[in-house]
Amino acid sequence: MYQWLDDRLGVRKLYAKAFRKAFPVHHSFFLGEITLFSFITLVLTGIFLTLNYEPSIRPVSGPLSDGQEVPAAYYSILFIDSLPFGAVIRSLHHWAAHIMIAAAFLHMLRIHLTGAYKNPRELNWMVGVFLLVLTIITAFTGYALPFDNYALTATKIGYEIGAAAPWVGRLLSEILFAGELSPTNTQTIPRLYSIHVLWLPLTLIALIGIHLTIMIKQKHTQPRYAEKVAPGKIVGVPLFPQQAAMMGILFLVYIAVTTFIAGAFLAHPVQAFGPPTANTPAVKPDWYFMWIYGILQIIPANWRFEFLGATFGPQFWGGILVPTIIILGALAIPFLDYSKEKRRYLELPSQHPFRTSFVVGMLMFYLMSTLAGYKVDLNLSNEVLWVLVVVAPIVTGVVTYALLKAAYGKRRSQEPEPQLIGKGSAADD
Amino acid sequence: MADYEAAAHHHEHPPEDPQAHATRRAILQAAIGAGAGAALLSTLWVGAGLVPRQEKTPSREPVATGDILVFATGPKVDQEITLDDLRAARNERVPFIIAFPKNPENNVVKKDLITNTIMVILADPARMSPETRQHASPEGVLAYSAVCKHLGCTISQWQNDTWLCPCHGGMYDIYNQARVVAGPVPAPVPQLPVKVEGGRVVVAGDFLGRPGADV
Repeated sequence: MYQWLDDRLGVRKLYAKAFRKAFPVHHSFFLGEITLFSFITLVLTGIFLTLNYEPSIRPVSGPLSDGQEVPAAYYSILFIDSLPFGAVIRSLHHWAAHIMIAAAFLHMLRIHLTGAYKNPRELNWMVGVFLLVLTIITAFTGYALPFDNYALTATKIGYEIGAAAPWVGRLLSEILFAGELSPTNTQTIPRLYSIHVLWLPLTLIALIGIHLTIMIKQKHTQPRYAEKVAPGKIVGVPLFPQQAAMMGILFLVYIAVTTFIAGAFLAHPVQAFGPPTANTPAVKPDWYFMWIYGILQIIPANWRFEFLGATFGPQFWGGILVPTIIILGALAIPFLDYSKEKRRYLELPSQHPFRTSFVVGMLMFYLMSTLAGYKVDLNLSNEVLWVLVVVAPIVTGVVTYALLKAAYGKRRSQEPEPQLIGKGSAADD
Repeated sequence: MADYEAAAHHHEHPPEDPQAHATRRAILQAAIGAGAGAALLSTLWVGAGLVPRQEKTPSREPVATGDILVFATGPKVDQEITLDDLRAARNERVPFIIAFPKNPENNVVKKDLITNTIMVILADPARMSPETRQHASPEGVLAYSAVCKHLGCTISQWQNDTWLCPCHGGMYDIYNQARVVAGPVPAPVPQLPVKVEGGRVVVAGDFLGRPGADV
């Protein structure tokens, strides 16, 4: 049987070539895999959801809505929740999306802190940034699909933020949502549905494919010790069977944990919000949008001017400009912190105090803008929040830098290991 | 066999004539360019179908003078709002009613245009600024566009005698032409002149400004 397959498909060659690929082992290397597992979970649970979901807002009534007329999309969520384990699978879809964004973000942090984006991996870093942004957009397009009052209001805020982009924003928002987003626009849900379950996942699959292909082609970066063990070689375990076994176990653990979370914490109970009405419930965005929401809360309303027929207001500064600058900055990192020679080994965060303190400062910025999202709840004043959002990250960065210098600066100069001193790390933005 | 053909091929177009090669390449490049351009144009032509068409239907007409305000939500949805309803609402946690205009001629509730979402309240005329009072009814019925100027949420809450948008904490002073008291709101929502006729709330004029989010 094996011989028969080998004759036709060249299994032995494939095994020797692909399945023996060496994977360096470090616990932080599994973050990317967790992101991938989340995506697989999302696709599988998503398929189940599409089989039972009706992308329409035509009014229907039935026993699940106590005979009340509700939109068909809303009713189909009630139906999914009534299926055996239906609510758990829907919750699994919800939480897996959160975990995917979190894992992708942590994966990116790991790459950033260890300088793994440097030559020759600039391209893959950029693909990764696009993947993270696209993942968040995909999550956002799924918000409105349950078509309850909360979902529609949350989506509406995104609609208006998109419309705040100068000149083309309104048109783009209208194309994305098929016109004005309202409880009675019948075309919005079919269009969001197509974008959420077809176009964005296809784009994600393509980008993930490119991400992995480039990674395999360029090979992994690996911890420093590998250079002493076997210079110029990848020190790790082969894809099959060792790495595959680890991945399989991790995947099963992932499924077990997320299913437990989904069973314990049912996501987004649509009945609690009811079908959309002209009224707006108090909405709070998910944690990965909370920082933008926070920035929107503290930008004064009078920061606006008109230029060539476009309005540049608070929504533009907070909702469009700040995220765009951060995305462009992320894309530029491998070029600002450029390395002329090709890098094969990871850099220690402690040996690159500027980069490390910059990352810690950015994390503080996210945390503080997230805190600003609770401005009304915590009764914080704008002045205090501005100080926290602008000054706290800078102070954090400076303190981190000083601490790293104090703790690791001396030791580095004692050890004559010139390769460890990252070239141009001071050029980090 | 193949060599022979290749040789014959070369014989027809002698390599010592670079002019012919250049011409051929130019023609091919022009053809590829024209093909790509035509493909792009037709894609845009098809893609233009994604831009939604704004269809004028009776339920999408903007609010007009003479319209009657009806309940937008709740158990009395689509029923006309009476002075008694407004009096009763004053004792609620949220003392106003979210309304849509109804065309009295064809009885169509104009609820498919977001900017037709209206807030109506019975307030003390003595507390209103002169401009506000001018467009309110003598009984104190007062109406504003309920679409937040910030990001288009319905301003649906009430806190400390102030009208509050739950989305980003925008607060409006309803006694003073919806002056912005707090929050990231760029401008006041426009007032809607109303009067009371036969116990019903009737629109007495156009919005005093542009309704809808200012983005």
